[in-house]
Amino acid sequence: MFREAPHFDVRDYLRKEMMPHFLCPGCGHGMALRALLWALHELKIDRDKLAVVSGIGCAGRLSAYIDANTFHTTHGRPLAYATGLALARPDLHVVVITGDGDCLAIGGNHLIHACRRNLKLTCLMLNNEIYGMTGGQVSPTTSETRLTTTTPHGNTEPNFDACALAIAAGAGFVGREVTRHVPKMKELIKHGLQHPGFAFIEVLSDCTEVYGRKNDMGSSSEMVMRQKSEMRPSAYRDSVDEPFRSTDLPTGVLARNARPEYGAALRAAAAARAAK
Amino acid sequence: MNEQSNIAASTREPVAFNAALAEPFNVLIVGVGGQGVIMVSKVLASLAQAHGFEVKQSEVHGMAKRGGTVFSHVRFGPKVWSPTIAKGEADVLIALEWAEGLRWLPHLRRDTGVFICDTKRIVPPFACRSRRPGAPMRYSTETAEQVSAYVSEAYAIDATRMAEELGNDRAANVVLLGALSTVLEFSLPEWERTVTSFVPKKTIAVNTAAFELGRNWIAEAKTAPPSDMPARSAPTQTNYTPRLEITDAWCKSCEICVKLCPEHCLELDADRIAKLVAPEKCTGCRLCEWLCPDFAIRVHLDAEQPALEAAR
Ligand SMILES: Cc1ncc(C[n+]2csc(CCOP(=O)(O)OP(=O)(O)O)c2C)c(N)n1
Ligand code: SF4
Ligand SMILES: [Mg+2]
Repeated sequence: MFREAPHFDVRDYLRKEMMPHFLCPGCGHGMALRALLWALHELKIDRDKLAVVSGIGCAGRLSAYIDANTFHTTHGRPLAYATGLALARPDLHVVVITGDGDCLAIGGNHLIHACRRNLKLTCLMLNNEIYGMTGGQVSPTTSETRLTTTTPHGNTEPNFDACALAIAAGAGFVGREVTRHVPKMKELIKHGLQHPGFAFIEVLSDCTEVYGRKNDMGSSSEMVMRQKSEMRPSAYRDSVDEPFRSTDLPTGVLARNARPEYGAALRAAAAARAAK
Repeated sequence: MNEQSNIAASTREPVAFNAALAEPFNVLIVGVGGQGVIMVSKVLASLAQAHGFEVKQSEVHGMAKRGGTVFSHVRFGPKVWSPTIAKGEADVLIALEWAEGLRWLPHLRRDTGVFICDTKRIVPPFACRSRRPGAPMRYSTETAEQVSAYVSEAYAIDATRMAEELGNDRAANVVLLGALSTVLEFSLPEWERTVTSFVPKKTIAVNTAAFELGRNWIAEAKTAPPSDMPARSAPTQTNYTPRLEITDAWCKSCEICVKLCPEHCLELDADRIAKLVAPEKCTGCRLCEWLCPDFAIRVHLDAEQPALEAAR
């Protein structure tokens, strides 16, 4: 038996005049964008009450394609802009789209302080282990031994586990998913959007044209297939597959806590002062 | 299949039994994993036990988590030896799934057995010949009328639909318990107390309502002749034809859809644009739609007009 409501049509949420988008063929960021829009659709979030703030990079560019209030800010600073916006307009759903370079390198400080404050925001970090937009420089998440334009003999720096970092810094909600699992990614983003504090979601995305090509990872489809490998959920870990990421990363909801939300605390303190 | 009502109702009183019941009373409960077969049997077993009967219950739930068959034998009486019910000796057969009910029919007493079956159909994977929606399957094709020739008293009840309408399809097994309560001579307060003690606290209200629905439905079926029964339409299966809408201008030839389609029905054409080349193999699973990073594929599931409605 087939009983189904009309399926979500991503095109309803796109600025069609901007399409086709500028991402390279097979770039994982497109799948992540679909999952975000699907989650917003399923939660029936009013587009007039939605603000998408993004930084600079291929990931940061995504806000331009969303038919809602969007704010393309400066490199590394989307969380700072979003913090101001969410404090001034607590009625808005503020979503940040950022990349691994944007969020962890130039914007690393903003991330840890956003986690520490636990202001209600949803931060979607698309981790492709590289500075995609600028042609493939090493990023804080690049796996060891990987080739980039700035590590021509293979990366020797240890990399960040962004989720562990966010958890340690106090984020209210932390989760991770791969782009191959679009419906699961959507569900995870929904949990994040509903969390009454700072939600950090890492999406393991593929930079096919720069990172994939430089490291000989095969075609886009092969890269998507390899996601089943070491970064897959623990349940699949034993199946034989070619490894892709050098670390064994768990996916799903990784942390969820009920720390006080910063915006509400700030408003309550202000109200108490005003009442004196 | 039209099976909205009782197949062969009787005006017989509930099966009379008391502590002097000479032979054990046999109830066979069947279904598939996750439907709550074991819960039904636990309610019945604890009820009979509280009533002073000796009870034996045995169950098999081997592949339950994979939607496999689950059955539970409950026998009660002054003295029960064997924990299982022999073929042809079940006094009542309760089925939470249509085909499972039919599978176990030979266990029911031909002359006096009562058959209560949910019309819910759960098609097992091995009955699917093709992943295409609406494809023919090896699922039982017996109609309720055919079944009625084999049993003395039988009810095909839309328990799952009734539970869904109450807002919790998991209460379907309690609808069937309500139906079962009309055939066994335990008092209503005894039933309600036991059912309540077996369901999660938060769902007591919905389960109480479900129990009453099942109980009243049988009472109604017994008095009203089948033709007067409120018509609850049988679950229908609509055939869908998957259709792909591909926005050529957005396709960047990444080939993810071509390589990841489980049915291998896409290819790049001469202009390196994704094309559905084997529409007959497409199942409408939407994987290509979800994985296309360029939003170039949209899967439509066009419903085929059921022949009956088209004729109208
Ligand atoms: C202040 C500043 N410094 C550097 C740059 C150059 N720049 C643009 S995008 C980018 C890196 C983006 O990497 P990431 O955030 O991982 O995004 P991706 O392109 O991989 O999605 C850099 C360094 C800039 N635009 N502004
Ligand atoms: S450079 Fe990499 S991250 Fe940027 S669009 Fe191309 S594939 Fe995607
Ligand atoms: Mg990057």
